[in-house]
Amino acid sequence: MPAKKVIETKNLSRVFKNGEIEVHALTDINMIIEQGEFVAIMGASGSGKSTLLHIIGCLDRATSGEYELDGVLVNSLNKNQLADVRNQKIGFIFQSYNLLSRTTALENVELPLIYDRTGQFTNAEELAKKALEQVGLANRIYHKTNELSGGQQQRVAIARALVNNPALILADEPTGNLDSKASIEIADLFVQLNNKGKTIVMITHEPEIAQFAKRMIYLRDGQIISDQLIENRSNKEFALKELEKPSTP
Amino acid sequence: MKRFFKIFKVAFRSINKNRTRSLLTMLGIIIGVGAVIMTISAGEGATLQVQNQISGLGTNLLMIQTKTEHKAGINVRMGRPIDKKDLDILQKNAVWMPKISPLVAIGAQAIGPNGYKSTTVYGVSFDYFFITSRAIELGEFFTEDDVKTAKKYCVIGATIREELFPGQDPIGRQIRIDKVPFTVVGLLTKEGSGGMGQDMDDIIVAPYTTIQNRLYGHQRGYNLIMASALSEDHIADAEIEAIELLRESHKINPDDEDDFDITTQIELQEITGNITGILTILLGAVASISLIVGGIGIMNIMLVSVTERTREIGTRLAIGARESDILSQFLIEAVVLSLVGGTIGVVFGFIGNQIIYKATGFFIPTAGYSILIGFGFSALVGVAFGYFPARKAAKLNPIDALRYE
Repeated sequence: MPAKKVIETKNLSRVFKNGEIEVHALTDINMIIEQGEFVAIMGASGSGKSTLLHIIGCLDRATSGEYELDGVLVNSLNKNQLADVRNQKIGFIFQSYNLLSRTTALENVELPLIYDRTGQFTNAEELAKKALEQVGLANRIYHKTNELSGGQQQRVAIARALVNNPALILADEPTGNLDSKASIEIADLFVQLNNKGKTIVMITHEPEIAQFAKRMIYLRDGQIISDQLIENRSNKEFALKELEKPSTP
Repeated sequence: MKRFFKIFKVAFRSINKNRTRSLLTMLGIIIGVGAVIMTISAGEGATLQVQNQISGLGTNLLMIQTKTEHKAGINVRMGRPIDKKDLDILQKNAVWMPKISPLVAIGAQAIGPNGYKSTTVYGVSFDYFFITSRAIELGEFFTEDDVKTAKKYCVIGATIREELFPGQDPIGRQIRIDKVPFTVVGLLTKEGSGGMGQDMDDIIVAPYTTIQNRLYGHQRGYNLIMASALSEDHIADAEIEAIELLRESHKINPDDEDDFDITTQIELQEITGNITGILTILLGAVASISLIVGGIGIMNIMLVSVTERTREIGTRLAIGARESDILSQFLIEAVVLSLVGGTIGVVFGFIGNQIIYKATGFFIPTAGYSILIGFGFSALVGVAFGYFPARKAAKLNPIDALRYE
């Protein structure tokens, strides 16, 4: 039985019009991401990876082409339906965490459930606690965000992305604001979540972090130039050991 | 409903997070609502006081006067003067007016052993004391017989006593009113200031016959005739009766208009009610301006808050908040701010009224409807001035909002 497709795009293009100038941010993106995959999307700045993430994340719409997310054809949805899709099917993780300031970890993690319209999450607090346990913050539930380190804050953000049990976890440079050690911890956490069956798409421009994923898509000038499985995946022990090596001049 | 409760909780949390700012934002509304309540209540208090004094003027009072017309700046008497003939007809035939007294008033100088005072001397009959419900503190009223025989007796008010007999018993003493000697037989109980601010105790009351004979220069007619209706329910009956009797007395053709005016206490109350009502509205309007200024304050802060929380809004949109969720959140924040401010304002207004009462003795009843107005207005201000910032927040593009630094 073939694995379920979480993302399927057909000839996806995005054109930004700025007066007379047309910028082709994405051109004919065709890709399929199946359930249980862990994909790293890489590319230089301006390569279109953020635009792709916005479209995959239903924050933006393609100019042309089709995009199907977990069986839902996103192209035809209106604003409210897009919001609901984001709420039910996607867990976002941002570079700068985007947690609510001076608010407890628990309240931050509960946030997506506030906007749930399906009524399936009656026990918001319990779910939020479970999500925090999953990211290893069981003992920080009532800490406020400003009392947590960067790595811990990103863990809270990951818990927030997990709490509504989404079909897809989308991470936009999740380690961009973290030091190397914390970055490796977060990447390792992604691997653990992926091992439990979570589908993860992560944008990064750090090759060491991308190496934790199973598959790497490389973008340049709005087009996919390579899409391959990663053969020798990195892991926590290896990455930490690499850190200790003196940097070669 | 459950969703609304959740959004409400979100709004409340973010208000609570910025307590100082929230309080400062509310200050405008607090002052506005407090001012509205205090001014409206002050207006109500003034109305109440005036009304009380008018009813203190005499229960069920009717005043019958010659018709006057305001011409070229002076009041011109238009009809026949009200005179003895009218009084006789009224006294003989009236059913609904058991007490009737003529009134002649002159300005005169009263001279006593220890001082003098310019005052108003009222010439009346015995019924006057009943009609105006004035009580005697010392001595007694002059009697109907004293009126008939035009005795040179008088009853004085407290202000006159202070000027003419400071600290002394005035009963039985002599005073001179424009050179005519009078014997003081009674002292009126102190009444304070009247509905129009006049001193109700700066008064000398004497038999009208005496005043007419000795001081009025034998002028024909009275200033007016005062009467009291049988009861409050019969003021209208009394008025109709008085009109009929006077038309007969003045021999007015059925087609012609009255040449006299009858003022009842109800009319008097209506007139002063109108004046104080306008005053209340005016004061309230001025106070509402401060409420609007308070609303603009809320809008300002909400706009700043939207800008400051752009990333938060972006995050909320990204994790699945609809535009309407964001709109409700900010609208609720604004309304909660103004309602809480309104509540505190109501309390402040109430306390303010009490302080004024304690400090000046001017009783201000905190009008129930002023609380409703203050409260309603503050909610309205919250919605009206909160909508614009809330819409601005809801219409943010999530991508730009997330990128906002």
